[in-house]
Amino acid sequence: MSRKASGLKAWVLQRATAIYIGLFSIVLLAVLLFDPPRDYAQWRDWFADPLIGIATLVYVVAILLHAWVGIRDILIDYVKPLGLRVTLLALVALGLLACGLWASQSLILVRLV
Amino acid sequence: MKFIVSRFNPDSDSKPYMQTFEVEVRCGMMLRDALMEIKRQDESFAFRHSCGEGVCGSDGVNVNGTNRLACITPVAELKEPVEIRPFPGRPIIRELVVDMSQFYEQYKAVEPWLVRKDPMPEQEILQSPADRDKLDGLYECILCGCCSTACPSFWWNPEKFHGPQALLTAWRFLADSRDQATDRRLDELEEPYKLFRCHTIMNCVEVCPKGLNPTQAIGHIKHLMLKKAI
Amino acid sequence: MALARRRFDALIIGAGGAGLNAAIQLAKTDARVAVVSKVFPTRSHTVAAQGGVNAALANVMPDNWHWHMFDTVKGSDYLGDQDAIEYMCREAIPTVYELEHNGVPFSRLDNGKIYQRPFGGMTQNFGGAQAARTCAAADRTGHAILHTLYQQNLRARTHFFDEYFAIDLIRDDEGAILGALVLEIETGEPLLIEAKATVLATGGCGQAFRTTSNAHINTGDGMAMALRAGVPLMDMEFFQFHPTGIAGRGMLITEGVRGEGGYLINKDGERFMERYAPNAKDLASRDVVSRAIVTEVKEGRGCGPNGDHVYLKLDHLGEEIISKRLPGIRESGRIFAGVDAAREPLPVFPTAHYAMGGIPTDRYGRVLAPVGTGEEIVPGLYAAGECACVSVHGGNRLGGNSLLDILVFGRAAGLDLLQHMESHHRPMDEASVDKAMARLERWDRKGEGLSVAELREAFRRCMEDHAGVFRTEEIMTEGVERLRELREQLSEVRLQDHSKVFNTARIEALELENIMACGMAIAVSALNRQESRGTHSRPDYPKRDDVNWMKHSLYLLDGDQLDYKPVQTKPLSVETFPPKERVY
Repeated sequence: MSRKASGLKAWVLQRATAIYIGLFSIVLLAVLLFDPPRDYAQWRDWFADPLIGIATLVYVVAILLHAWVGIRDILIDYVKPLGLRVTLLALVALGLLACGLWASQSLILVRLV
Repeated sequence: MKFIVSRFNPDSDSKPYMQTFEVEVRCGMMLRDALMEIKRQDESFAFRHSCGEGVCGSDGVNVNGTNRLACITPVAELKEPVEIRPFPGRPIIRELVVDMSQFYEQYKAVEPWLVRKDPMPEQEILQSPADRDKLDGLYECILCGCCSTACPSFWWNPEKFHGPQALLTAWRFLADSRDQATDRRLDELEEPYKLFRCHTIMNCVEVCPKGLNPTQAIGHIKHLMLKKAI
Repeated sequence: MALARRRFDALIIGAGGAGLNAAIQLAKTDARVAVVSKVFPTRSHTVAAQGGVNAALANVMPDNWHWHMFDTVKGSDYLGDQDAIEYMCREAIPTVYELEHNGVPFSRLDNGKIYQRPFGGMTQNFGGAQAARTCAAADRTGHAILHTLYQQNLRARTHFFDEYFAIDLIRDDEGAILGALVLEIETGEPLLIEAKATVLATGGCGQAFRTTSNAHINTGDGMAMALRAGVPLMDMEFFQFHPTGIAGRGMLITEGVRGEGGYLINKDGERFMERYAPNAKDLASRDVVSRAIVTEVKEGRGCGPNGDHVYLKLDHLGEEIISKRLPGIRESGRIFAGVDAAREPLPVFPTAHYAMGGIPTDRYGRVLAPVGTGEEIVPGLYAAGECACVSVHGGNRLGGNSLLDILVFGRAAGLDLLQHMESHHRPMDEASVDKAMARLERWDRKGEGLSVAELREAFRRCMEDHAGVFRTEEIMTEGVERLRELREQLSEVRLQDHSKVFNTARIEALELENIMACGMAIAVSALNRQESRGTHSRPDYPKRDDVNWMKHSLYLLDGDQLDYKPVQTKPLSVETFPPKERVY
């Protein structure tokens, strides 16, 4: 994230993602409460719906971005030594990226199989 | 009434310690009066104070864990024993006197002066009462420092984060219909530290002795920034 | 260790309205200017001014500077110098516009112009109907102005020495001022600041009295420094008691309350000012209102269980006006009197407020000292603001003229200084430096003795009892004797705290010396003036005596001597206002 993007853009991003995460979580919760998929096949069918698939992908990306901004804020606040901070940021970024790739892969696999 | 006061004289002490004083309380006594009484008992006790009516902003101290202005804090309101410490997070010079230079640096950093690009009229620059009303709750700040020294974000990044006081001042000029440096002011704030270290903890609002609301001012700045960006 | 030294073109001591407005003029140029203040600039007492600043802008009703000038001359009880008053009233108008351009958040009228409120002693048409001339930022005008001036100085990159205490002026054998010895409060180290010109802008000396609207810092430091440098103090007997301080505490309740329609009542609920000033009523000039309140209380018509104050009623103004125009007053009333001014009246009594007298200057801010039968300018020394006496306030200052005074003459001093700055620094006078150092080192003496606090209490009580609102020969003779005794005791005072870092006990000791010097000037000048004029009220000489006493008193430290000089009755461009009986 560029220096420029790290002020207002990060702030807006965090709020926008929060709204999406909140809304989609309600949808998920509602599905789990009222019409929960009973087995793996049902789960897979549910995610195979392109609308759900894309919405879920966006959900995952939103969580990752939200987490990134949040963790980055914490590191900026508390971790003063630049080297340590950059290392930690890189590790967090890598971890989040890995999570993202794994989640996307799963969602895409669902579509393909 | 019992007062437990933080003491530290760099000439003789290696670190701060607490000392108890007994002060006879009179009707209507303010905390500043009590501190002056303690100074009568021990003249080496040091604290800043001046106007005694809450406008000069000299005598901010930490009382029972909260930053307050001593001259407008009635002793009767306080839980005994009263614990008095210097502002948290600032280097202690002596007793209750702290080094506020970073606080003042942040104030200066927001360029707290009216910028006008148009030529000045011969008379006053006109301003409607409604526009003037927008400055209420902003210009009254007395720079006492209660807010910024109660702000965790300012404790962590006092050299980079403007802190609630300076941001309130920044908004005071952004909100002034006469000021013509809105874009420049906003550009200056658009980076990770100066403004965006505020996490709406709202300690500033709770402690402000003048009842001002820096958190709200910070919110206004962010919204104006967003509006400009779109 | 060798004494640290710094050199500047100009040194300004004091960072209130006068000092900061002088500094701005200099900061705009190449001049190297240092501003020394014993507190952070926005803590200066200008911050506490509430009501406003007078200027005949005619935003509310017809007005002009000539009417303002008449009111000021009359308000001064004809002791003000009319050339300086004319200058101030003319300059008022551009001064207020300049303030507004600099960012002062003045309250506004519906048409967008600066809000102006009625204030005491302000009339239209040379004593006619009440004028609205006082430009206000709610009831926080001084705060708004001081912060704005500080901000403009930040913009201009003025060099500030915050929390440095000025110990004494340095002067050479020819009487020229070469700068000042100052003390860095944080480290306790002295510093010699050499300057081609020095401006004293140190404010008033209200701490001489026990009940005062003045801050802890108003200890007459500049006045006392001037006295020690051989400069007299002028008209010190004229000390204004503001009619409406919170009873028993002294915090100020602005005249703006009465300007907005509030009025005073006694225990019978009577609006008593109607008896003392049938026309102006509660907006008569301050000396008149203060005496009326004291008379009411003395004659048994005071309010409260002890009958020792009167009430200021403003609840009839309504919640909206009060929260819009007088929010600070409501806050003060609640905190210090436990009264919500929007519901109940405020208990008030006169409180020591303002020194009309001070260091004599001309209207360029240049300090004058008597030489032979005339007077001469003290080379390199200026004074402006409450510590100076131009004299525009004469025997009594009108509300709203003090902010005006500091701004106009602070600016004038800055500009004159620039024009007449010498090209070189004069050689330093080491003997004078040693003398100033001795004043500081005196407080290193160890041992048992009186404490600063004890002597200060005794002194302030003495001033209140012997130099207050009503003054008789007997009371004041006793007062001067007592003050001489107290002055003797000053040498027996010892500090117990000899540490260096932020030693406020040492600062208070230096301040006590200063304020006691001012107190003596007040008492001696008052004892000698055998007439009643302005705030100086002598029951034994109840009338104003223009034949013998239309003159300024000059008090000199050396032997507590008094000298006198004539009032300048000739204005710059208009006709003289001859003395008339003063009724409101």
